Amino acid sequence: MKHRSAILVATLLLTTAALPLHAQGFKPAKPIEFVTHTGPGGGGDVFARGIAAAMEKEGLMPVRMQVVNKTGGGGLTAMAYLAEKQGETHTIAVFTGIWFTNPIMRKEAKFTMSDLTPVVRLVLEPAVIAVKNDAPFKSLKDFIDAAKQNPGQLKQSAGSLGSRDWVVRQLLMKNTGANWAYISFPGGGERIAALLGGHVNMMVIEPQEAGEHIRAGNMRVIAQVADKRLPAFPDVPTIQEAGFNVPNVPQVRGIVAPPGVPADVVAYWEDLFARFIKTASWQKYLADNMFENGYMRSAELRAFGETFSETTRNILKEGGVAVAR
Amino acid sequence: MLQGFAVALSPLNLAWCFVGVFLGTVIGVLPGLGPAATIAMLLPLTFRMDPTGAVIMLAGIYYGSKYGGSTTSILLNVPGESASVVTCLDGYQMAKRGRAGAALGIAAIASFIAGTVGVVGLMLIAPPLAKMALSFSSPEYFALMCLGLAMVVLLAGESMVKALLAMLVGLWVAGMGTDLFTSTSRFTFGSAELLDGIDFVVVAIGVFALGEVLGNLEVRQGPQMLPVPKGLRNLMPTWQDLKDCRFAFLNGSVVGFLIGVLPGAGSTIASFISYGIEKAVSKHPEKFGTGVPEGVAAPEGANNSETGGAMVPLLTLGIPGSGTTAILLAAFILWGLRPGPLMIQDNPVLFWGLVASMYIGNVMLLILNLPLIPLFAQILRLPAYILYPAIFGISIVGVYSVSSSLFDAWMLAGFGLLGYAMRRLDYPAAPLILGFVLGDGMERALRQSLMMSQGDLSILVSRPISATMLFLTVLMLIAPLFRRANAWRVKAMS
Repeated sequence: MKHRSAILVATLLLTTAALPLHAQGFKPAKPIEFVTHTGPGGGGDVFARGIAAAMEKEGLMPVRMQVVNKTGGGGLTAMAYLAEKQGETHTIAVFTGIWFTNPIMRKEAKFTMSDLTPVVRLVLEPAVIAVKNDAPFKSLKDFIDAAKQNPGQLKQSAGSLGSRDWVVRQLLMKNTGANWAYISFPGGGERIAALLGGHVNMMVIEPQEAGEHIRAGNMRVIAQVADKRLPAFPDVPTIQEAGFNVPNVPQVRGIVAPPGVPADVVAYWEDLFARFIKTASWQKYLADNMFENGYMRSAELRAFGETFSETTRNILKEGGVAVAR
Repeated sequence: MLQGFAVALSPLNLAWCFVGVFLGTVIGVLPGLGPAATIAMLLPLTFRMDPTGAVIMLAGIYYGSKYGGSTTSILLNVPGESASVVTCLDGYQMAKRGRAGAALGIAAIASFIAGTVGVVGLMLIAPPLAKMALSFSSPEYFALMCLGLAMVVLLAGESMVKALLAMLVGLWVAGMGTDLFTSTSRFTFGSAELLDGIDFVVVAIGVFALGEVLGNLEVRQGPQMLPVPKGLRNLMPTWQDLKDCRFAFLNGSVVGFLIGVLPGAGSTIASFISYGIEKAVSKHPEKFGTGVPEGVAAPEGANNSETGGAMVPLLTLGIPGSGTTAILLAAFILWGLRPGPLMIQDNPVLFWGLVASMYIGNVMLLILNLPLIPLFAQILRLPAYILYPAIFGISIVGVYSVSSSLFDAWMLAGFGLLGYAMRRLDYPAAPLILGFVLGDGMERALRQSLMMSQGDLSILVSRPISATMLFLTVLMLIAPLFRRANAWRVKAMS
């Protein structure tokens, strides 16, 4: 009996001794502050709460994740908040493409993504190009040809300047020489309403959002903004397959931490999210939203960020947008 | 529909409905924290629930919050949520005259009637109405907002010039932040905090609540702030009040519902427009702003039936029209439902269950709110040295809870001083709020329209709906001139 418990103790000691080697010692000791730059219900907020809920359901973390909304400045407020938490190990944030693009465009920005500690990239969100079901365009080429014949007459309902919709348009216009109007609507609902009401001709839309309108016969997808065809749209070509030589522009989301966070903390998050993305909850989340897994570790993410910023800066400059840095 | 009631009346769903409307009332009473934030926070808890129960509860929070919103508007001049700003105008004046209980009662009854009308509309005419809403685009929204802005002639007190100046300040403040079309910063003074513009809560609570408190501090008062009559009977609206409000109930219900159906409008506009209509058709328009029950019933009705309206594009098209419906949409996706044009066909149990629960929820809210009125009215018995600091506290916490930003708390102080200065100089606050609410959307709609027409202004008058609304706007603007000319003529004749 005594012998047995001694073995047990030894095993326990061994495993606890082995753990730090694996996780480099860091383990969260209090609730994690999980920052997002959107208000409740916004894209980043829903994403963050989705992660927090799935983490809890899967029991992967010893502590809770508390979502904190730091809205304002299209991400700049949240970035500044994070940047001021130098070395803080219990704060992480969800970033999106706007965290790279906005500091490029804004002289108000005090910090850029390179001031923060990249942790992991999590998803790539593909998109589709949709038109109303009774529109004459059967393919992206039809749309582009019509735009060439009537310069500036066709309209795209979309988000703000510098968003993914805008980048897709800039790239397509540059590649083809066509030209169409870009009408900004702040809410996704208004963009869809403008398309379904026949007030605009085309939009770049998230596949999940488009799905139901297609099923109801209100909308038609003419191309995909994705590296390869999405399972839900096997018959629709990607932009490249449709014959347009433009780079793919995914919406990217992932996790960053404040500046100066120790390497063992970054390693903890990298490992945690590596396990997290394999869970059933997360796989279902990706499938439901038609997101692609875009997992990348910290070092790769840093390199990705640099390229991404550089590409965006060039597209912005070519699109005639003033670049601040 | 019967099937829907069977679903909604199951004990568990009844319980969820009650939890929802109760929470809704609570967060509606608290300024700042709105239904969108509450639903977002509760979302993770609903994953393990049956989706029907969850949607019944979350929708309960949404329409329940509209009931609660009027409470602090009436009692303290603190708008509990954005749509109840208009309720402050006459509700707070009623409270000042010792009729707080009556005002709260009117608000609850108007909410109940309009809330129910909204659900009836949702049940009977949702799909065709949603189709009609799609014919609204930027030119129509611009015309609608013009019509809303023309309400300023009705909100003006003694001086039209002062009202117009206040409105211009509101429009200017609305223009701060980032230009949506060019991404240029406007009036941000190099500060990142101002890039998203100024939150509505900051402006409304600052100008109304803090302005009022600062103004009252000037007067040395006895321990009791406002008169509260004794006896339950005196705390309830009289039959005469209800009779006076007959048209207001109808007006609020219909206007709120129709504007709710439009994804680009919103409940604050709905309440302003129904208040304006009420004043325009009233036999005694000059009494508005001094505490008439119709001035409470119309906007409170409008912001309640607006929730029924907002459910129309959400449930029949999958198009959210506001922050709250956007998060409901996100919730649907998280539960694995597919919101969109086919949702009613795919999930009849959920849809009809939800509709039935909204009838039940409205009854629950009425039963929940009426007995609370005497209790709430007692708040006004508190001495000023307790009440005023409490209002300050509630206001700051309310603002901070929206953005967790101290910068916003300082802005609140700034707008409080502005509100105080406006009171001292006799500038009405409502036109400022009106300009602020409409400014952003109006500018956007105009520029979107011009982009659609490649700069041709005729797009605004060549579309029938927008032309009609612009015509009404012109009528609204010239009506006071006629009235004045008429008054002169009468004077000259006598």
